[in-house]
Amino acid sequence: MSQGGYAFLLAGGIGARLCLLSEKRAKPAVPFGGKYRIIDFALSNCVNSGIFDVGILTQYRPTSLNQHIGNGRPWDLDRTRGGVQLLQPYLGSVENDWYRGTADAIYQNLMHVRQRRVEDLLILSGDHIYKMDYTAMQDFHSDRRAALTLAVTQVPEADASQFGILELDARGRVVSFEEKPVKPRSRFASMGVYLFRRDLLWKALEEDAARSDSSHDFGKDVIPRLLSDGADVFGYPFPHYWQDVGTVDAYYQANMDLLEERPSVDLADPSWVIHTAILDLPPVRLGPSAAVERSLVANGARVEGRVVRSVLFPGAVVERDAEVVDSILMNGTRVRPGARVERAILDKQVWVGAGAQIAGGAGPPNEVCPEHLASGLVIIGKGAALPDGIEVGPNVRIDPGTRPEDFPAHVGAGKVVWNAREPEGAHSHGYPGPEQAAMRD
Amino acid sequence: MRETMAVFLAGGRGRGLGVLSEHRATAALPFAGKYRLVDFSLSNCHYSGIWPVALLTQHAPTSLREHVHGGRAWDLDRAEGGILTLQPFARRERAAWYTGAADALLRNLSTYADSGAHRLLVGSAEHVYLMDYSELLASHLDARCPVTAAVTPARPEQVRRRHMVEVRGDRVQRFEHYPERTDLTLAAMGLYVFEMEFLRAEAADGPRRSLRDLLEPALARGLPVNAFRFGGFWEDVRDLETYYRTSMAFLAPEPPLLLGDPQWPVETRGEERAPAVFAEGSRARSSLIAGGAVVEGEVENSILFGGVVVEHGARVKDSILLQDAHIGAEAVLDRAILDKQVGVGEGAVLGDGPLPPPGGGTGLCVVGKEARLPAGYRLPRGAAVGVGADLTKSEILREFAARPAGKPRP
Repeated sequence: MSQGGYAFLLAGGIGARLCLLSEKRAKPAVPFGGKYRIIDFALSNCVNSGIFDVGILTQYRPTSLNQHIGNGRPWDLDRTRGGVQLLQPYLGSVENDWYRGTADAIYQNLMHVRQRRVEDLLILSGDHIYKMDYTAMQDFHSDRRAALTLAVTQVPEADASQFGILELDARGRVVSFEEKPVKPRSRFASMGVYLFRRDLLWKALEEDAARSDSSHDFGKDVIPRLLSDGADVFGYPFPHYWQDVGTVDAYYQANMDLLEERPSVDLADPSWVIHTAILDLPPVRLGPSAAVERSLVANGARVEGRVVRSVLFPGAVVERDAEVVDSILMNGTRVRPGARVERAILDKQVWVGAGAQIAGGAGPPNEVCPEHLASGLVIIGKGAALPDGIEVGPNVRIDPGTRPEDFPAHVGAGKVVWNAREPEGAHSHGYPGPEQAAMRD
Repeated sequence: MRETMAVFLAGGRGRGLGVLSEHRATAALPFAGKYRLVDFSLSNCHYSGIWPVALLTQHAPTSLREHVHGGRAWDLDRAEGGILTLQPFARRERAAWYTGAADALLRNLSTYADSGAHRLLVGSAEHVYLMDYSELLASHLDARCPVTAAVTPARPEQVRRRHMVEVRGDRVQRFEHYPERTDLTLAAMGLYVFEMEFLRAEAADGPRRSLRDLLEPALARGLPVNAFRFGGFWEDVRDLETYYRTSMAFLAPEPPLLLGDPQWPVETRGEERAPAVFAEGSRARSSLIAGGAVVEGEVENSILFGGVVVEHGARVKDSILLQDAHIGAEAVLDRAILDKQVGVGEGAVLGDGPLPPPGGGTGLCVVGKEARLPAGYRLPRGAAVGVGADLTKSEILREFAARPAGKPRP
């Protein structure tokens, strides 16, 4: 990519399967790994691969993403030419509307590449954890004279039906592709990283936009049609760590993967720095009775108690005699003296009262979202304040902004603590909220 | 037009800091886990709304320039009048180093004039304090004096290291420099506001070396010098003991300054390190540990900068480890200061022997940047190892450093 290239980064997904974590923020903006947000990985991959011209497509609740990206400084994307652009849907001409799918999102923004001297366009997803040098994929793509190259990873057989599954011949040509197949024919999954020849992409998207029977999605519509038209579609095998963090369990596991002795994603590698918006906070402060083991702790955190197998974001505070085990504590959370938190994900600014007992573990799935919250984790929304001495069981969901008076004395397994003052509860299911529906009209 | 420009002296050789300042300006000395001394002055400017800023450099300015890097971290990367680094330069008629603070200040008068400044706030980039400079400026404008000096209380044990001042009302009467003992209780902070007019007149009178040469004759002539009293924490980090003591004060339950005050966080150039890693079996307490550090062993009452690794079984106590120092397994550090990228071999002991008796020196071991100590090596208390000294290769260096009074040699 001598000219550097151009990348579209899809960051508009609702991320319903992430439950509370993406209720009020786009999935790529969900905090990850102690100081990052999920989008930092794809965005850092771009600049580390020499791509300094990136369009980020947003749609769902872009505020925290907009704030995070800003003018692109941390990624060296505040440039005179190129740099980063946040592309939100807008009204103004016949073709413009809410994005109807991933392909439609790109289609509506093709004008941004009209004047750019690039032969190929990279299309990425903003919600995967991986470190990848896209120049190697570009070399493969040029070498095969491919019209489209998809990056391919191997997924466990049990998960294969959640991905776009493809079969490759010896040279890497894609011979079959099926989005979320009931009976997967291989374990090769598309990573949602597409390198398109620009003219072909243009043509394919124009055709797709005109079809009324299309859902305007790359995996469901555009790629299968290209294959049936006989286009040169190749799969580029990527042998390193790649994780889709689309579900609560996968998100939790990907964080815990960072605590391995030799983590698959080395965050400390100076040759492939994961850039993020920097908070100027002092070093981690450990008190005289602190005990921290097998954990990641970001600057600005303070520990007086015990922390084991956990990830602490900036400003997280674990007070005296408090214990945090197998948990994720985001920015500014506070665990008061004597409290215990186990197998829980605490969003930003959560307050856990003194002596509270939050105990994830085995138990019946959550009564409201059993499909997303069944593995025993406790998930606590942003700004919730838990009363002193409260007991919380596994698979419990606690709404953002809940106050101590919203809690019963004991929150049993699988229960939900609602925030009665919050009028926007509809979002928790990932359906468009009233304001979004109204704007469509 | 901005009426006040800030000028910071950042050229200090820092003789008292030994190997730590051999290859860097004291202002660039790493401090408190992720900062450098200059961060305090620049953060003060940012929050006080003062720019442009000039840094007067001379001794080993490279790491300082790299750190300041256009001033981004303090929003000093401005289209007009952000931050300037003024290194002495040769002219047709002569080429000379700055002979002292006043010389450095006066030789750049035309540069300040170009920015249109009416007055200068002059300070040292080596001091640790948080101050709202707008209060100092308000006092100066209110007093209508050509000069304002910031003063702060000094304890009796500190006066030997201070420029003491006598203040009557709000006027500075006289200085007493580094007195053994004195009745005076206020010390000059090396922080002044000067009207440009005064500086121009002084410059016309011929060269000056130190600020003392500039101020004392003026005081003697009856020049009114306003005193601005500052009651907050302030420290001039000029020797190893002060550096050590000031650093360690930040480990106390009530640190002298709040580094992460959300209203006034001390800003520094980000290093983009990952979060700190605490391994299985690690034991760390009463410490400051910066992002990017990896703790496998035991750490107590210490400061670890980014990228420091303390391997399994190693014990680090009462020590300061600058960026990327690597402590091998089972090594023991007691009261040691390690500069960046120092390598300590497995089972080495730094700070071997009993603690010095009270009044018998600090007993600190200091190891210069990139020095290497072999496995099993014993460095006696109070010994120093020079910058880049590779004791794994040289027997002579090994023996030399093993003498307690050993002076550093490269």
